[in-house]
Amino acid sequence: MTATTTHPKPAPTPSKLDPKRALMRVDNLAVSFDNGSGPRIQAVDGVRMSVYPRQTLAVVGESGCGKSVTAMSSMQLVPRPPGRFDRGRIMWGGQGVDIDLLTLTEQQMRQIRGNDIAMIFQEPMTSLNPVYTIGDQIIEAILLHQNVNVNEAVEIAVEAMNDVGIPEPRERIKAYPHQFSGGMRQRVMIAMALACQPKLLLADEPTTALDVTIQAQILELLRDLQTQRDMAMMLITHDLGVVAENADVVCVMYAGRVVEYANVFELFSNPMHPYTRGLFASIPKMHQRLDRLVTITEVTENPKEFEKLPGAQEGVRPWWPWHDPPKDLAPSDEPAGDYYLQEVKPNHWVGVWRTEAVEGHKSRAPDLDYRIVDDPSRQKPQTDA
Amino acid sequence: MTTYILRRLLLMIPTLLGITFLLFMLVANAPGGIGASLALGGGEGADAGQNRAIQQAYLEERYGLNDPTLVQYFRWLARVSPLKFGEPLQRDDVGEVIASPKPLEAPPFFGEYYGEGTQLPEQIRPSRVSTGPTQIEDEERLQRVAAYRRALNDYTNARGAFIGAVERLKIALENYAIAEELGRSDEIIKNNKLNMARFRGHNFNADSELGRAVVQAGEAAIVAMRNAVESRNRLAEAFAERPFPDSVFRVGPVPLGVPGIVYLAPPDLGKSFSKSQPVSSLIADALPITLLLNCIAFPIIYIVAVPSGLLAATHRGSWFDTLSGALYVALWSIPVVWAGVLAVGYLANKKYLGDLAFPTAGLASSGAEDMLYLPSLGPDGFERGALLDQLWHLCLPVACLVYTGFAILSKQTRAAMLDNFNADYVRTAKAKGVAHNDIVFRHVFRNSLLPLITMFASIFPAMLAGSVVVERIFSIPGMGSLVLEAINARDRDLLLANALMVGAVNLLALLLADILYALADPRITFD
Repeated sequence: MTATTTHPKPAPTPSKLDPKRALMRVDNLAVSFDNGSGPRIQAVDGVRMSVYPRQTLAVVGESGCGKSVTAMSSMQLVPRPPGRFDRGRIMWGGQGVDIDLLTLTEQQMRQIRGNDIAMIFQEPMTSLNPVYTIGDQIIEAILLHQNVNVNEAVEIAVEAMNDVGIPEPRERIKAYPHQFSGGMRQRVMIAMALACQPKLLLADEPTTALDVTIQAQILELLRDLQTQRDMAMMLITHDLGVVAENADVVCVMYAGRVVEYANVFELFSNPMHPYTRGLFASIPKMHQRLDRLVTITEVTENPKEFEKLPGAQEGVRPWWPWHDPPKDLAPSDEPAGDYYLQEVKPNHWVGVWRTEAVEGHKSRAPDLDYRIVDDPSRQKPQTDA
Repeated sequence: MTTYILRRLLLMIPTLLGITFLLFMLVANAPGGIGASLALGGGEGADAGQNRAIQQAYLEERYGLNDPTLVQYFRWLARVSPLKFGEPLQRDDVGEVIASPKPLEAPPFFGEYYGEGTQLPEQIRPSRVSTGPTQIEDEERLQRVAAYRRALNDYTNARGAFIGAVERLKIALENYAIAEELGRSDEIIKNNKLNMARFRGHNFNADSELGRAVVQAGEAAIVAMRNAVESRNRLAEAFAERPFPDSVFRVGPVPLGVPGIVYLAPPDLGKSFSKSQPVSSLIADALPITLLLNCIAFPIIYIVAVPSGLLAATHRGSWFDTLSGALYVALWSIPVVWAGVLAVGYLANKKYLGDLAFPTAGLASSGAEDMLYLPSLGPDGFERGALLDQLWHLCLPVACLVYTGFAILSKQTRAAMLDNFNADYVRTAKAKGVAHNDIVFRHVFRNSLLPLITMFASIFPAMLAGSVVVERIFSIPGMGSLVLEAINARDRDLLLANALMVGAVNLLALLLADILYALADPRITFD
């Protein structure tokens, strides 16, 4: 067959999406989980963020801060019960009109899953069904969303495997997941996710379980595929190196809320929330001997750090759940009413206490259509890590 | 895969040997030993004890029970093994395997205390390899069979007389030893056997009264032996004439192997002491009954338990989950003995169910042979027919076999399904947009099959072994009843044949489970 020798690259779908219009906008999302006899656990509270077409939004934060729950909510993959969407909307602009993903029925949601929004997960070792071949699992997704017969689906699957750099895809399509290494399995997961040309890829810590060289390969692959296909990506990670290399916009989360939101250069050069500063301070520096790394608490426990925020004179204080709220707190009625994501300087948002000062100057919701590729003047920032 | 299966099959041989050896030793070392409860009636009167001893000696000699246990075990093994050495055995019309008569042993102290210089007739060995044609004319064959039967009858009598004479000689020797004070009486008779070691180095006193009795009994034994050897030689000749077909596996007319040296033959499971029938025909009668029961019962268990476990898993916490779980565990905890007796007492009782009462025992009504097979409307109204009659008889036993089985299987299915529902690949499938039902059947159920296969492997041998309790309660002559009777009668060959069969089926089921595992789970390979 000649098709095996000359792969016609899928013509990069000319993006019909308006680059100035948000692809997905998370608006005041709150998700809680039933905790048996105890009080409900508020996993995510008042989260706001947005993703633009072709943009990479990195969501950073420690384990349990609500990164994954936010991503899973946008596909309604949060198990309910015990989970529950308390408040908020996730607006999807992929179809031209905005629709709220949280209100879709299971059947409508199935049309979105895998087709418009695809997701890859942290554990490539267990994320594939062990009893079906790689091909079966990729083809399953293709047949669900594309109007093709099985033979065409096989061709698409081979193509997708070729695109993610799996050698001899036509033979490997009959292999089982256990015959692949971790990195190869993650490539299969990516092939499966991208087989239907989704507009948004949710990458939930895609490289955490892989070793460093494979991490670099997978991230490079994701970057390449993203530019090739004009795809937006929400990259969930807790690795600041990965963020610096890949992100356009960074969203730092803590304890279920967004604490800082800015483009990657702004965030790395000018972190404003004490938690973000703590994160950067805790990174070990090369050429600098240290017996102990700086911990985040060392930064957040320092009261001076909380004074550094622009507008501190007017009473704008960074939100920090372990501190007593300021005296002039003006909470609203809603559950996360003691907190507000304030644009403290243009295009830079920080989570602050909802004091009277903030209440008087409420800013717009976080919204950045920044992309590095559109910004030729910028160089990639170099991390010390 | 093929090498793996071959290796496993070969490994089964030592395993089976171990199983049979352990069981053989267990039976042999049970209080009373093998054959102690053989139904012996020595008649009445003064000679009753002596007659019983003679009869026991005869039976022990007939079945080789007086040999050391290891010798008996290896003899049994040689019979059961399909690989045989030496001259081929013959198999009669009933399926009983016939061997050439074994040589007779001289009576104790022959040539020492009595019969000095007397020559015993030579015991001939039957010709080693079949000389005659394999296909014998019917008439000639019948003549040979008749001759063989006659010779066998003669020999049985002569050998009986000889064994009796030897027993009498032993009694005389015992009396003599006690009178000569060769040891305490409990040392002379050990385990009902004369202790020959006590006579070693003793100078025989032929002049004493008891000594004369010994010589007399010895000479009588020689006479009896001469008779027995003569009729034995005639029997051996009749055997060498090959009245019955050789017991050898053949492909067409060609035997597998070289008869006379090494060849393959159908295993001989022996003859039941207690029923005087070949074990193979007893099993052939009982096994279909047990298989019939279980082939109805096990599919019912699977058809009910697997879907309900599946449903309980997909609707976890629903009323169905709770109710089915509770019901199955409740059923599981009812003892079959009790439930069976209750079923017979109430459901097989005309007082409660009238003409619809279930039968209490057996698998067919007494007139079932005369019934039509299918139900029909005859002149006397509705006729049940043999098929419906049998199904009617099967209802209660099958119900008793089935009701305890739901719990384990459905819980097992439910647990396996729930395990897999939380697996990462289910989340992946959901993220792809796969519909819920497809996730349940294509992804989760397929992965939950493995524990069900293991269950099947453990259940399957039980199907052949039969249920002792249920068969007992409903008087069904299946494998369970057969084994129970064999244990009660200490019927060695029947017991060992059962153990061999159940052991072999067990090992085969485990192998089958491994193969099914490899088919169901691509991660498992045997190469």
